[in-house]
Amino acid sequence: MEQNKHWQSFGELNNSEAYQKAAKDEFREELPFEGNEEGGFFKTSTPRRDFLKYLGFSTAAAALAAGCEIPVKKAIPFANKPEDIVPGIANWYATTYVQDGDAISILAKVRDGRPIKIEGNESSPITGGGTSARVQASVLDLYDTARLRHPKYNNNEITLEAADKAIGAALAGLGGAPVVLLTSTVNSPSTLQVISQFLAKYPGSRHVQYDAVSYSGMLLANEASYGKKAIPSYRFDNAKAIVSIGADFLGTWLSPVEFARQYSVGKKIDEKNPSMSKHIHFETVASLTGSNADERFLHRPSETGAVVTALLGAIKGQGVTGIADEKLKVGIAKAAAALNENKGAALVVCGSNDVNVQIVVNAINEALQAGGKTIDWSSTLNYKQGIDADFAKLVDDLNAGTVGALLVSGANPVYTWFDSAKVVSGIKKAKLTVSFSGRLDETAKEVQYIIPDSHFLESWGDAEPKTGYFSLIQPTIHPLFKTRQWQDSLLKWSGATTDYLAALKTYWATKLGGEAGWDKALQDGVINPATEPAAADAAFKAGVETAAIAAIAGAKKGGEYEVVLYQKVGIGAGQGASNPWLQELPDPITKATWDNYVIVSPALALKLLGIDLRNNGQSDDYEVHPAKKQVTVTVNGKKVTLPALIIPGTQKDTIGIALGYGRNVELGKAAVTDDGEPVGKTVYPFASLNGGSVQFFAEDVKLELAPDMFDVAQTQTHSTYNTDQGNRTEVMKELTLAEFKKDPSDILDEREHELKEYGGVANFERDGTIYPVFDKPGVHWGMSVDLNSCVGCGACVVACISENNIPVVGKREVSRFHDMHWIRIDRYYSGNDIDNPSVVFQPLMCQHCDNAPCENVCPVNATNHSSEGTNQMIYNRCIGTRYCANNCPFKVRRFNWADYTGADSFPHNQVGHISEVTWGMNDDLTRMVLNPDVTVRSRGVIEKCSFCVQRTQEGKLKAKKESRPLKSGENNEWDVKSACQQACPTNAIVFGNANDSKSAITQTRASNHYRLFKSLEQLHVLPNVNYLAKVRNRDEEEGKKEA
Amino acid sequence: MHLKYESPLREPLVYGTKDYHQVTEDIVRPIEAKPSKLWYIGFFISVSLLMFGVYAVYRDVTYGIGQWNLNKTIGWGWDITNFVWWVGIGHAGTLISAILLLFRQGWRTGVNRAAEAMTIFAVMCAGQFPIWHMGRVWMAFFVMPYPNSRGPLWPNFNSPLLWDVFAISTYFTVSLLFWYSGLLPDLATVRDRAKTKLRKKLYGIASFGWIGSTKHWQRHESLSLVLAGLSTPLVLSVHTIVSFDFATSVIPGWHTTIFPPYFVAGAVFSGFAMVQTLMVIVRKVFGLGDYITMGHIEAMNKVIVLTGSIVGVAYLTELFMGWYSQNKYEGYTFWYSRANPFSPYGWSYWGMMTCNVLSPQIFWFRKLRRNLYVTFFMSVIVNIGMWFERFVIIVTSLYRDYLPSSWSVYYHPTVWEIGFYLGTFGLFFTCFFLFAKYFPVIAIAEIKYVLKTTGESFKDKMDVQEVLETEEFAHKYVH
Repeated sequence: MEQNKHWQSFGELNNSEAYQKAAKDEFREELPFEGNEEGGFFKTSTPRRDFLKYLGFSTAAAALAAGCEIPVKKAIPFANKPEDIVPGIANWYATTYVQDGDAISILAKVRDGRPIKIEGNESSPITGGGTSARVQASVLDLYDTARLRHPKYNNNEITLEAADKAIGAALAGLGGAPVVLLTSTVNSPSTLQVISQFLAKYPGSRHVQYDAVSYSGMLLANEASYGKKAIPSYRFDNAKAIVSIGADFLGTWLSPVEFARQYSVGKKIDEKNPSMSKHIHFETVASLTGSNADERFLHRPSETGAVVTALLGAIKGQGVTGIADEKLKVGIAKAAAALNENKGAALVVCGSNDVNVQIVVNAINEALQAGGKTIDWSSTLNYKQGIDADFAKLVDDLNAGTVGALLVSGANPVYTWFDSAKVVSGIKKAKLTVSFSGRLDETAKEVQYIIPDSHFLESWGDAEPKTGYFSLIQPTIHPLFKTRQWQDSLLKWSGATTDYLAALKTYWATKLGGEAGWDKALQDGVINPATEPAAADAAFKAGVETAAIAAIAGAKKGGEYEVVLYQKVGIGAGQGASNPWLQELPDPITKATWDNYVIVSPALALKLLGIDLRNNGQSDDYEVHPAKKQVTVTVNGKKVTLPALIIPGTQKDTIGIALGYGRNVELGKAAVTDDGEPVGKTVYPFASLNGGSVQFFAEDVKLELAPDMFDVAQTQTHSTYNTDQGNRTEVMKELTLAEFKKDPSDILDEREHELKEYGGVANFERDGTIYPVFDKPGVHWGMSVDLNSCVGCGACVVACISENNIPVVGKREVSRFHDMHWIRIDRYYSGNDIDNPSVVFQPLMCQHCDNAPCENVCPVNATNHSSEGTNQMIYNRCIGTRYCANNCPFKVRRFNWADYTGADSFPHNQVGHISEVTWGMNDDLTRMVLNPDVTVRSRGVIEKCSFCVQRTQEGKLKAKKESRPLKSGENNEWDVKSACQQACPTNAIVFGNANDSKSAITQTRASNHYRLFKSLEQLHVLPNVNYLAKVRNRDEEEGKKEA
Repeated sequence: MHLKYESPLREPLVYGTKDYHQVTEDIVRPIEAKPSKLWYIGFFISVSLLMFGVYAVYRDVTYGIGQWNLNKTIGWGWDITNFVWWVGIGHAGTLISAILLLFRQGWRTGVNRAAEAMTIFAVMCAGQFPIWHMGRVWMAFFVMPYPNSRGPLWPNFNSPLLWDVFAISTYFTVSLLFWYSGLLPDLATVRDRAKTKLRKKLYGIASFGWIGSTKHWQRHESLSLVLAGLSTPLVLSVHTIVSFDFATSVIPGWHTTIFPPYFVAGAVFSGFAMVQTLMVIVRKVFGLGDYITMGHIEAMNKVIVLTGSIVGVAYLTELFMGWYSQNKYEGYTFWYSRANPFSPYGWSYWGMMTCNVLSPQIFWFRKLRRNLYVTFFMSVIVNIGMWFERFVIIVTSLYRDYLPSSWSVYYHPTVWEIGFYLGTFGLFFTCFFLFAKYFPVIAIAEIKYVLKTTGESFKDKMDVQEVLETEEFAHKYVH
């Protein structure tokens, strides 16, 4: 039976040719690339699927080709691996930071033969592992492109041999004219031996020590009072009452790292039994130390003598005399009362360089029975030994032509001596002039020969910062250039056959009992007395102060305005001027970078600049524009025009200007602006010689408003956390000791009150949100910052820069608020007295919020939370929308606005768009300072504090390899310290595993339960950083809420 | 009594006695004629602006976002201000086409085509900002959820910026489809009238083979309704999502729950203002006053005064909440950073208040609503005001937020920041000039549709019957 034919199309019914073909091709076996052979690729009729395949492939290929162009960098492995270099593993060498008499024991971290980071040496009883901003930054100096790379004669390159020959001949041909070796303070025992060996070769020669900012007044006063031309050790840790008259002992005075460490001892608070040292400060312009004081009083610089005299009188119960200013009078009476109350545990220090003033200070300390308690003569401080009169005589001798040869090491009198022209003319008269300067400083420019000294990280040596306490210097890298240690030069020219290393080794091997002792000492880096000597007194010659008081009474009175010349924490007397990290370190008080300026009080601003800070509109207008009005300052006919910054806490008739600026443009890129001008202006010419010592203030100053404006790059403009819409107590908390004693739980209560509706402090994490709370097993990193210990010195800022490869952006970028620092120190004023407010410092880094607002807004998950509680930043995922930065309530996220690091894939996009100094940081030489463990961020990505993730990883790995739990502070044993924590001289920062009940962070949080707070806690961002409230040792219960 | 009754309120949607042919002639004339000198000048200026914008973006991509004056505190400035501004403008078109279509508002036909085109161009301009404001724009594809070998690593679906990506691309796609599907019959008309081969071919391709069959028309109508239905929620959602960029954050001044309705009202406000600006020019330049009538202008002015008042209420609510919440951060942002005219950005707040809230109130007067010069001037003012609004929201919230230490002032935009903005104007007007030259700026088919029920010729036709007495009419037509 024929089956019925079923069909569904006419084609099928008719069984046409076309239909047959279509039916056959319906399920094809072969790949549908038609006509590959005959027509070629472009002739193929591409079906839809192929089109999609091609499209996908070509898009992917184009994306790959576009995204994968990475500059080729060659890495060559060692043919023969040096024994002590393991790639990726750091070596640590104990050595010593030395600069112009300062000496701080350090450890240098060396990666693949390059020193990249400096940390304090915890074996040093002086610093206990603390450092300063300048110490942290010194590693960058090693790689400075402006370092002199070879010896020079009249600015032409010569070889060392030729120089030795010529200088040897010149020294021999002096015809008996004396050789003068001019140095900054030398406290290296072996160097002193080398010097004496050299001087012995040239009879009649002498060694002159000259310090830019000298302590000669103090040295001479001590000679008069105690018969010792030396500076005793101070024991701020033993002092219950500290009075400082203009001594910035936490910032720049003598040995700030040591003093800050001691000072913080008295500021640590035991919550069960709260007590604190009391610090009263008298000064003219707000200094770092003054800002930390419990109470602060203002006086004119010319009144320093009167203040100390009045204080002596008040201590002796004669009342406050000779002081006109009422507030100051009250202050002196208060100070005298506090000191008298704590006799035997009181200390008075004074920053004056006037012998008479210092004699009176000695008398005060004697009256307070400080000797043997807070003043320790058992070992002396050897940081500064220069006597100004010696140098003044040398200048005269030079000009008289009686000096045959002048050899200069460390000192830079052409820049730092107030009468620079006279120094230059004197140098020109000497037959032979040699400088050992490592860079072309002002003095080196005037001499015939420069035999550049090696950087201390390339050198051998030793130092004795404190008598009996030694610190050794060993090289961490072969000298990069044709430089030679100046001790070697001296030895050579004194005809010795050994070099300095041999001399040093012999010196110490003899003392330490052979090679083994030397090796051990070198490994430790420090040689300490076997037992700490007991504090000793020195015999005080009574009565010397009578003449001093009379002399003070006859001192010159101030004119309408006065100027005080001060040192900045970073720049010092000018040593930091060539270091970009230090130039970009904001001044602790003014928050200005890259410039010096005239500091004026709000009262003077109203009078001189016509700016009223009490007027919101005017103060806004002043603060929001980087362009500041300029003031021409005239002292003894010398004029300097500088921009004016209004800084509360400045004496109303006095201005302050920082030393150390206006350097020679060949000193380094950091000392020059993009226009080729020096950064800032020098004010050394404003100093004068007074009674044999240089006086760093001028009594009579003329001030005029200059026509132009000048940009000052500040990283922080607004100065108070109070607004006309309420006080931002969630940002910062502080109270007085009296309040704290009366009601220790005050701050806790305040927090409870704020969070009451959301479960209170205890349950806030859970009840403050509608979302579930997650467990936090394992390691959970946390940080605690004690605002009472933090002095605001900025060591942590530079340590962080160094550790985390943070770029330098230059003045123009800072003034556009493009600074990149991961940790900043916020400075706030509190109290209602705009003329003399209290200051509080708050180090602020990423708070690593457990409920981080930055994390959920990133469209591409470039920032997220680790299981260890840190907020992580994935640079190569970041596309740079900056949403996270906007949504960060702490504003700690930093965006790479330009190719600051040269890590971008776009070539040639830096010139003209970044500062010269940033450009300089991209030099192959400078890049040697980069930490290979930390990614160098490219343009267009966000970066921020990582809680030193490279260190936490390393620490965890170390613990894991040793099969034990991570130690973060248990019994003071640490696997991990963050860079900021390590650098801090006062141990204000504690970092570690908050899940470990024995860790330091847990202990700190538990034992400071009452003072603990978290910034902006009420936002429920749950920061992993907490702060401990600032407590001021004041009697009155004032300023808590509105402070 | 006869049947004729003319509404004293409703005016005809098309003026004059027009027949279908006349409509086609009027609207297609600019396409078939040579462009005027004015067109060339305008086009040249637009392209120049566009080129300048391209160079400004080139600088930003090559040298970094540091070419702009944004900073560590103010991460967004002109870029996102302009983005939100353009997105807002891009709201009127779809609102007119979709929502008014659903509400059967006949007057939309005169303006919907140009308004939709404007929407598409405005969204194109808006899209430029979030793209080029990225620090690493060459990695922008990270925001797309595509399978990858990084885990796979997906974008962060919690991020409002990612929602933006989807919201805006969806909105753009739907708007484009809607606009283009409406264009099909008209393109076919142009094709059918074409005198050159090339023209015929190009318009032939563009009109997708439209032959005007009943089936085509039926499908066309259905598609229009479907797309209108799709776009209606989009009109509301896009700016809602854009407002989430701010509303979901923690920044005082951003963290505000009233943002979605407030942003949508603002968007409609600025969108209508932009339509006014363009319509006033187009009707003048192309002589289309009979199609874009005073009635249209007035209707849109009514929308402007309504939405302007809504945003005004929103501003006042914010201010009130700034005080009522007793939150010091909010209080500072609203009462000092914004409302205080002497604060560094007080001027922008008061600029916004004046342009957006106070000045549109003049449209309560019919005479002013129907004045072309006033309308044009006000439409520009409103868009300036809306730009200020976005600037106020973004910058005055960011520049002084929580920690006073981080406060900064975004002092002035750089020339490249301004250049980018000008460049989007260039892009917008270049597109618009091309559109006006090559596409019918008024929906021919839809005008013809309303012509049946309105206009003089409709009246002429109906008059014959309407003059009859009721009985006469009944006698004639009732069987």
